[in-house]
Amino acid sequence: MLQLENVTKRFGGLVAVDTVSLEITEGEFVGIVGPNGSGKTTLFNVINGVFYPEEGRVFFNGIDITRMPPYKRAPLGIGRTFQIPRPFASATVRENVAVGAMFGFQGRTLNVEQSLEVADQVIERIGLAGHGFKNAGILTPVEKKFMEIARALAMKPRLLLMDEAMAGMHPGEIDNVVQFLVDVAKEEGIAIVAMVEHIMRAVVNMAEKVIVLDYGEKIVDAPTREALSDPRVVDVYLGEGAKEDNADG
Amino acid sequence: MIMEQLAGNMVQGLVLGSVYGMATMGLSLIFGVLKVVNVGHGAFVMVGAFVALFFFNALGLNPVFAVPAAFAIGIVLGLAFYYAAIRKLLHAPELATLLATFSVGVLLEETVKMIFGSEFRGYNWDLGNVDLVFTALPISKIFAAFGSVLIALLLYLWFKRTRTGSAMRSVVEDSRGAEVCGVNVDGVYAMSFALGIGLTVASGVLLTMFIPVGINPYMGGGYTLKAFVIAVLGGLSSPYGAFFGGLVFGLIENTSYTMFALIPGVEPFALTRFLSFLILLIILLIRPTGIIKAK
Amino acid sequence: MKNRLRPYYPLLPVFAAYLVLFLLGRNVAGMWQLTATLLFYCALGQAFNIFLGMTGYVDFGYVAFLGVGTYGMATAITGLAGYPQLGLWAVALGFVLAMLMATLLSVAVGAVALRLRGAYFAIATIGVSEGFRFLIEGANLWNGSSGMIFTSQLNKLLGRDLASSVMTFWADVLVLAIAVAAAIVTLLYMKSKIGYALTALREDEDAAKVMGINVTRYKILAFITSACFAGAVGAASWALKTPYVFPPEVFEIHYTIEAIIIVMLGGAGTMLGPIVGALIYGISKYYLSIFLPGFQLFIFALVIIFIIVMFPEGVVGVIKGKTRRTAIAPYIL
Repeated sequence: MLQLENVTKRFGGLVAVDTVSLEITEGEFVGIVGPNGSGKTTLFNVINGVFYPEEGRVFFNGIDITRMPPYKRAPLGIGRTFQIPRPFASATVRENVAVGAMFGFQGRTLNVEQSLEVADQVIERIGLAGHGFKNAGILTPVEKKFMEIARALAMKPRLLLMDEAMAGMHPGEIDNVVQFLVDVAKEEGIAIVAMVEHIMRAVVNMAEKVIVLDYGEKIVDAPTREALSDPRVVDVYLGEGAKEDNADG
Repeated sequence: MIMEQLAGNMVQGLVLGSVYGMATMGLSLIFGVLKVVNVGHGAFVMVGAFVALFFFNALGLNPVFAVPAAFAIGIVLGLAFYYAAIRKLLHAPELATLLATFSVGVLLEETVKMIFGSEFRGYNWDLGNVDLVFTALPISKIFAAFGSVLIALLLYLWFKRTRTGSAMRSVVEDSRGAEVCGVNVDGVYAMSFALGIGLTVASGVLLTMFIPVGINPYMGGGYTLKAFVIAVLGGLSSPYGAFFGGLVFGLIENTSYTMFALIPGVEPFALTRFLSFLILLIILLIRPTGIIKAK
Repeated sequence: MKNRLRPYYPLLPVFAAYLVLFLLGRNVAGMWQLTATLLFYCALGQAFNIFLGMTGYVDFGYVAFLGVGTYGMATAITGLAGYPQLGLWAVALGFVLAMLMATLLSVAVGAVALRLRGAYFAIATIGVSEGFRFLIEGANLWNGSSGMIFTSQLNKLLGRDLASSVMTFWADVLVLAIAVAAAIVTLLYMKSKIGYALTALREDEDAAKVMGINVTRYKILAFITSACFAGAVGAASWALKTPYVFPPEVFEIHYTIEAIIIVMLGGAGTMLGPIVGALIYGISKYYLSIFLPGFQLFIFALVIIFIIVMFPEGVVGVIKGKTRRTAIAPYIL
């Protein structure tokens, strides 16, 4: 469904994404892993249309979207959450989430009324039920994260890019959110690409495959178990010492 | 004959342009460091003009003394407005600082009007002229140009050599990074804003050499537009770019005036003003980051 | 069973306010002058709000649209004065021309300026009213700096009596109609996808793009709508009330300042804000000019700064917040 071919993105002299190729199929749950600065957010931005790559191409369902502006990618089915939530502060939660529905995958077919209904459903599902009429600006940080996810889901995406969506939640919350996402994804057939900075147990247990980035390069792209025991991955995170530890225990 | 006139105009243009450039440096500095567009820019220039007027008429002191005084007044005004309003709006939507600086400008205009009245005034600092083959340059204007270049040079040295100067440069590059390195970003903001305003007010003194009778509380508006054209020409965040942009603009303004005067049936003054606006739009269309690449 | 009229409830306060204003103006001696001024401010604010309030972008050259509208009406009247049988149709055509010209100017400016982000956009617009005015004066368009006087042409078209009543009464009624129309359009936008898109792009333009909103298209829509109404206001309130036009007068930045004050004071982005702002501003200005002449602009500049720092959502914004869960909430927008 999503294909990247040799995508390279530079900022002046810095190569943020270096000749990365990858493929995501429908309904897949993929984890993107890598330390700070490895290019994960830039990669998302390229898929999303916030940046255009200097080299390489991006295909979605066979369409070349490399230079397509971001607002055209949403109706194709690409949705995204941001690491630091970006609510439309002066609008209510309901209205925020409805925006996702109005301009997303089914946007054409939904009017304002219907979009609000979709919003209500998603808000219910994600557990924000009482908060619909609150101003988005006054939510707690965790509630804002949930709203961010809800808004993206309201877009009815085929591919959901999740940018560190679970940073700042406790392990219990993370497990819940991940389970929720997996369930929703299965029901609606959404492919989820979740970005995590550290190897998070929860995500990694749900992800079917893991892609590891280091300094903009893709160093590993394999089913989860394999990827995690790959010495290069352990290297990237923990350095030589950990490899030996692993070998011992 | 035309060539002589043109040459004369170019020299005059450069002289004027250097002052225009210096007048815009403050604007670019404030945008570069704080990312705030000072829409009330022209009003501060006007304040400087009135300082010059006051010094000359009431105190009998020539503009050489007015420049540092104006600079000092500018610093005080800058600090006052920063702490009273700007600081609280740094994280508000862009709209907020635009309207705030705009209102500050209006405030200044009205205050000056209340103190000095709204008639047009001027003063005459006649030191004689320097006669070049194709044109006569009043010494007062040469003084203004010289002063502008001097101030620009001092600013350059200040940025390069002093700690606070480097601190400011680091904030322009990356404010978060600078903070992490221990730079007092709020202090830098305050200083930059004050410095920017100081430069702007001081430039008002120098500009009076070119407007013998046009000083009035509402004269600022025209300079705001010119300053923006120049700032955009030079790349909005670079004070040096602004200086060179000013030179370019001075040239264009003078020569276009001569050109327009040759066309029958049009008013050259008005068309020149229109031209500056057109230039602004064109640059914003093609290259909002500026045509001149100066650091 | 949802009441189908419910979305239109906020229009009730609008109609009520204008009704009261109108009745006071007609029945209290000497009040019509003030009423006319207040109506002008309402229309100006309502039109400006469609852009400033809904997109969060500041157009410092806004008065240019009023000016262009004035010229549009002036052109129609002087151009058609030779056909007195047209009568009021000439005025109607004047409106069409005014709005057309305002639309054209807004498309021209918007095409360049609206691709730019907030601060750059503001810079680009700073020169619009100046630029246009100097174009007219410099190239001697429409009589250049001498301006146009068309009282006699208006008399020829409408006859002295009708012309006189237009200048003293009907022009203001037209302004009222424009204000109401602008309020209705504001409501329609706010309740539709357009309103949601505009709110999104105002709050966070990049996030809006990622959500699928073509921000440029919506900015342009708001811009043109706002400009078009401004053209109509200029045609009615400036050309018809006082049948002459001089470039320095109709392009004065002063009016943009007033528009900003009215919208920010009343509540940017709310539908009722401009009316509240216009009333507060207009009445205060009137009394200030009696008691403290020359101080108005100073005081209002302070007021804007105060509002921006302390109450950016304006009077109606604050009221909206306080009445959120109460019975009158459906009437406040």
